Amino acid sequence: MRLNIQMLISHGRVARKMGLGPESRINMLRNILTGLVRHERIETTRGRADEVRFYAEKLIDYAKKGDTDEKAMKMANFWLTEKDLIPKLFKVLAPRFETQPKAYTRMARIPNRENLDKAAMAVLEYKGNPFPPLQTAKRDNELTLINQLLKGYREERAQQAAAKVEA
Amino acid sequence: VLGMYSLTQGCAVFSREQARQRALYPRTEKIEVTLQIPGLQGTLLVMNKGVSTPHSCARHLTEWYVTSSALALVDGNPWPLHQPLTQSCSLSLLTFKDTDPLLVNQAYWRSCAALLGQVLEDAFKEDFSVELIRVPEVLVTSGAFCCDVVLDPQLDAWNPSEESLRSLTRGAQQLIHRDLPWEPLEVVPPVALEVFSHSRCKQEEVEEKSAQSPKGTVMLYRCGDHVLLSGGPLVARTGLCSQYEVTAIHPLGEGEWGLHRRAQGLSLPFQLQAHHTVWRKLRSRAEKLVRKYYLSQF
Repeated sequence: MRLNIQMLISHGRVARKMGLGPESRINMLRNILTGLVRHERIETTRGRADEVRFYAEKLIDYAKKGDTDEKAMKMANFWLTEKDLIPKLFKVLAPRFETQPKAYTRMARIPNRENLDKAAMAVLEYKGNPFPPLQTAKRDNELTLINQLLKGYREERAQQAAAKVEA
Repeated sequence: VLGMYSLTQGCAVFSREQARQRALYPRTEKIEVTLQIPGLQGTLLVMNKGVSTPHSCARHLTEWYVTSSALALVDGNPWPLHQPLTQSCSLSLLTFKDTDPLLVNQAYWRSCAALLGQVLEDAFKEDFSVELIRVPEVLVTSGAFCCDVVLDPQLDAWNPSEESLRSLTRGAQQLIHRDLPWEPLEVVPPVALEVFSHSRCKQEEVEEKSAQSPKGTVMLYRCGDHVLLSGGPLVARTGLCSQYEVTAIHPLGEGEWGLHRRAQGLSLPFQLQAHHTVWRKLRSRAEKLVRKYYLSQF
């Protein structure tokens, strides 16, 4: 190909390069994904966490097909390097996300790594994990004026719905 | 509407009584006020007896305390923010976002109802009389605050249209914009009867309240040029309300003084503003007649 300046500028290119090449990238993601399935909450660099998210959610979609499915078992076998996690994937993670259609993972950014590289870090976790929550949503006290008014509103709606069901 | 004479007369009596009560402390004596505010526990303020109010204590702290405090707790009792302190005590300032804002919510509801009564008194022309009967103590969860009122017999056939409700709302918003403080004053029944000499039902209410209170006194509140009676402490000033709407006026039927009507409204303080979708839902609920109300112990 023609060696031009455009090859060095990466405007608009969404595919990330990781490691030594595409094969190395897939192997790295495989290792990170195995760690995620084992520990359910891991800490990596931001770029890697963002890449793994796609594969983590696709793996859950495959696991939802059930362990009798040929393709699903092949995928799980390829992506999980530690083979004792395959039953965990099918028996623990897949039933957990049965009711949810998408969005099985959560990514939260954390302060940069303390090393010389000062890499931007992130925490990636599967939802419904047993650890304490990363970010609690700040809710106003239940007894504030607006919450009390809304409580009365909700009770009245429930009463009306019950009355409608009876009639 | 109240005749100009009765308005000014009530105000004049109130001011006279206020000046007389202030003159009871000719020399400034000092009292010690201990603050019980999270973050400032145990801070000692040296204030003047009979002159300093919890509002002035808040002004010694930061501006946030002045704007956000709605009610004060003096030795555990609810205390209006502009009432002078008479002895050394412990003080805590209550806002709308505390862990336990029940007292503040109830006081806010009462203040909004008092404001509604004031707006109704001012709204009609001089030829028509407006009698405020009482403010029923409504729980906040019922969805709206109410003010029972009896209009002139000439207006018996009048039903409020949307435009008139909107103009009442505008009147209330003007009062809120003026940011008038509700000044409390504890008076003996004869003075209160003199203030309300134009209104027979108010005089009956004064007698009722003085019989119920342990000290035999009655608490009056002045806002602008109206003097009101209330079942409990009111919040500091009208500027604390941000969203305020008069939602409905329902006729209750013939009563003691004529055709009783219940005016209802909905309001939220400026620290707890609602999104317009939420406000619309709450407002549609506030238009319905509020039947259940509970008399609190205040």
